[in-house]
Amino acid sequence: MKTVFVRQERCVGCRHCEVACAIEHSKGKGLLSTIQEETKSYPRIFVEVIDNYLKFPNRCRHCDPAPCMQVCPTGSLYRDEQTGSVLIDYLKCIGCAVCAMACPFGIIQFQKIQKYEMNREVNAKCDNCIGRLEEGRIPACAEACKTSALEFGEANDLIRIARTDFTSRMITSRGSETEVPVIPENIRAFQKVMEKLASLS
Amino acid sequence: MTDQEIRAEAERRASDRTDQEIIRKTLDEGVQTVWDRFALQQPQCGFGQLGVCCNNCAMGPCRIDPFGGKTSLGVCGANVDTIVARNLLDDLSVGAAAHSDHGREVVQVLLETAEGHGQGYQIKDVEKLHRLATEYGIQTDGRATNDIAKDLALGILEEYGTIKNRIQLAERAPEQTKEIWRKTGIMPRSIDREIVEAMHRIHMGVDADYVNLLLHAMRTSLSDGWGGSMAATECSDILFGTPTPLTSITNLATLSREKVNIVLHGHNPLLSQMIVNVAEDPDLKRMAEEKGAKGINLVGMCCTGNELLMRSGIPLAGSFFDQELAIATGAVEAMVVDYQCIYHSIPLTAGCYHTKVFTTSTKGKISGTIYKEFKPENARDTAHEIIKLAIENFPNRNPDRVRIPERPMKVMAGFSEETIRKALGGTYKPLIDAIVAGTIRGCVGIVGCNNPRIKQDYGHITLAKELIKRNILVVETGCSAIACGKAGLLVPEAADLAGEGLASVCRLLGIPPVLHMGSCVDCSRILVLAANIAKELGVGIGDLPIGGAAPEWYSQKAISIGTYFVSSGVYTVLGIPPKIFGSSNVLNLLADGVKGITNSAFAVEPDPLKTADLLEAEINRKRKALNI
Ligand code: SF4
Ligand code: SF4
Ligand code: SF4
Ligand code: SF4
Repeated sequence: MKTVFVRQERCVGCRHCEVACAIEHSKGKGLLSTIQEETKSYPRIFVEVIDNYLKFPNRCRHCDPAPCMQVCPTGSLYRDEQTGSVLIDYLKCIGCAVCAMACPFGIIQFQKIQKYEMNREVNAKCDNCIGRLEEGRIPACAEACKTSALEFGEANDLIRIARTDFTSRMITSRGSETEVPVIPENIRAFQKVMEKLASLS
Repeated sequence: MTDQEIRAEAERRASDRTDQEIIRKTLDEGVQTVWDRFALQQPQCGFGQLGVCCNNCAMGPCRIDPFGGKTSLGVCGANVDTIVARNLLDDLSVGAAAHSDHGREVVQVLLETAEGHGQGYQIKDVEKLHRLATEYGIQTDGRATNDIAKDLALGILEEYGTIKNRIQLAERAPEQTKEIWRKTGIMPRSIDREIVEAMHRIHMGVDADYVNLLLHAMRTSLSDGWGGSMAATECSDILFGTPTPLTSITNLATLSREKVNIVLHGHNPLLSQMIVNVAEDPDLKRMAEEKGAKGINLVGMCCTGNELLMRSGIPLAGSFFDQELAIATGAVEAMVVDYQCIYHSIPLTAGCYHTKVFTTSTKGKISGTIYKEFKPENARDTAHEIIKLAIENFPNRNPDRVRIPERPMKVMAGFSEETIRKALGGTYKPLIDAIVAGTIRGCVGIVGCNNPRIKQDYGHITLAKELIKRNILVVETGCSAIACGKAGLLVPEAADLAGEGLASVCRLLGIPPVLHMGSCVDCSRILVLAANIAKELGVGIGDLPIGGAAPEWYSQKAISIGTYFVSSGVYTVLGIPPKIFGSSNVLNLLADGVKGITNSAFAVEPDPLKTADLLEAEINRKRKALNI
């Protein structure tokens, strides 16, 4: 199972992922063209923030079974068996938002879809960058993320790295084979200062 | 929002009662303010906050993975230390340029006044003119004031591009301090040169050595503190008078219900001081009465406000975060701005009310404002015209939308270095004796701005209160001084909040335990104060039991101030993290390595109580070294 794995502690809130996602779903697929298109393309990933130091890039988890799929009355949502992605048939969607109510992550947002020159807004959730996946590329958000807060790969591999990371933090004599560097001291110091600032007053 | 939520939000945003009252009004009326824009900007980019983003050239922008991933070099090959140090130098140079360019304008007006072109200007402090002329080796005996002033103005203007490799004003530093600068190679060589050289070093492919970059940052900051800022202070004193203690009032209650309110905002006293003079014109008063007003009420804001308060006792409406709130009272006919720290959105705020915003500097135009260019040769006329337009705007005030808080706070200001020295009897001996005896443990300069990352004024007030309680004398400039003014710390009665030793000295001299020394360029007064005390003691500034703090800073100018404090030997605590945490090397050098050079360093501590601990520890360390 491949997924975009999130390492929350590495997210610096730069929102590159949001920009890349909007560009990927635009007509021209370029930064300068995207911002000029009439029907705007909006991100399908959301970098949420608390107190400006806790950040979480929230996106569709492509659950299986997917609660949104289960409740959709029109069968707009379906699964691409090849990649495991939960996809949407924009033309079938009636905008009832029942999927959004069922989504445990609250990531469903409604937009007009440029391709169909629609006047109504429909479920425009993360499509796992299915076009890219089919071309053997990784999702736009994961590619844009320069801190590896978003990484695309085999879920079990990525989890194992996170686990090793955790273990290495527990054990004092870390070996050089540690795959993921622990959070550097200066970054920890910064996070501590920001946390303190947020907790004042 | 419910009333209760609005109340809670206002209390979260600001410390001062009058600020909270008007913040509630903005929330009620849906008027956007700095706090709203800050919330809308979240999350803010961590690359930027850590200083690891470089947007210097067109191969970029580049950013370094702060977690040590593959993205460890910019396209040009710059590493994280280079990028962080270069960004810091960039910010610092912007701040130094702002101070120094402001200074240049003041010196230029001094020159034009001496040449007889300055409309309505005159040389007010002849004694200071002579003192400075002597420093510059200019003959004063039997010469006309204007001739001396001309030579002095030319002499100081020359400092901007001098080829003599030193700045005359920097000679005021104690020998020990200058020796450190010489040895380290950070003696400022001219005011403009250091900034230009900084720009050069920042260019791709020039300086990649973070230590070298930071040393130049120190030199650039010194060219500001002991150059451009000092020139601004000294020449403003010569033109408008050296401040002496006076009392006035502060906070948003200084706005008037019956009079035409004109808010003077920005940093440079050149036009605003003229407005103060012109507002006395009986014709204008009559005109105001004809429009149904009971007169003209001038109030200051930010450092223009500090300049006017220090010299003319003009009431001070507030600090950096009060510019929108003043307008939101619905009672401001005109806001006159020069430059620095003016929200670019201020015409939008003004558009919610009848307020007219006047921009006056060719360097600081804002669309949507009325532009009345200020030139020394027509200063009087420009001032007159602006006041007239403000008066004409009075009938547009909507009384139903006016809310002015009650009860302004009393303040005592005007503590120039000269005044403090005079109050002590012409020498620092009494103060030194008190410090040696431990009655006063030491002295801390609290400076800087407001920043939405921290409740407005909370850092300034809490730190000042905590320090005076510990018998540490506090001197302040900028928005910090305004914060403490609003909180009632700038009055002699505030001695009751001080520790016994400091309180007794304050009562004896009839002064507050927190001394208002002026605007941000007047941090140069703090340098001169420290230099003179050090010279009397025969030590360097780095040996004195003193410290600095900027609990709520936001501006690049504050980076320059903090750095010239540290470079001059003053340990300085920042309440807001500077954008350097991306590089542990830069961080370590500024927090530790620099100690070996200047016997001072930077620290970052948002909690004002812990900041007081750090400053007290530093003062004790220095006391111990002095054997006192
Ligand atoms: S909004 Fe569209 S996708 Fe969501 S449940 Fe309704 S029809 Fe299905
Ligand atoms: S996988 Fe693609 S569609 Fe989904 S959030 Fe990332 S960029 Fe957007
Ligand atoms: S690109 Fe990565 S670091 Fe930046 S906001 Fe998105 S998840 Fe966070
Ligand atoms: S100067 Fe270097 S680090 Fe900066 S944008 Fe250019 S290539 Fe990138």
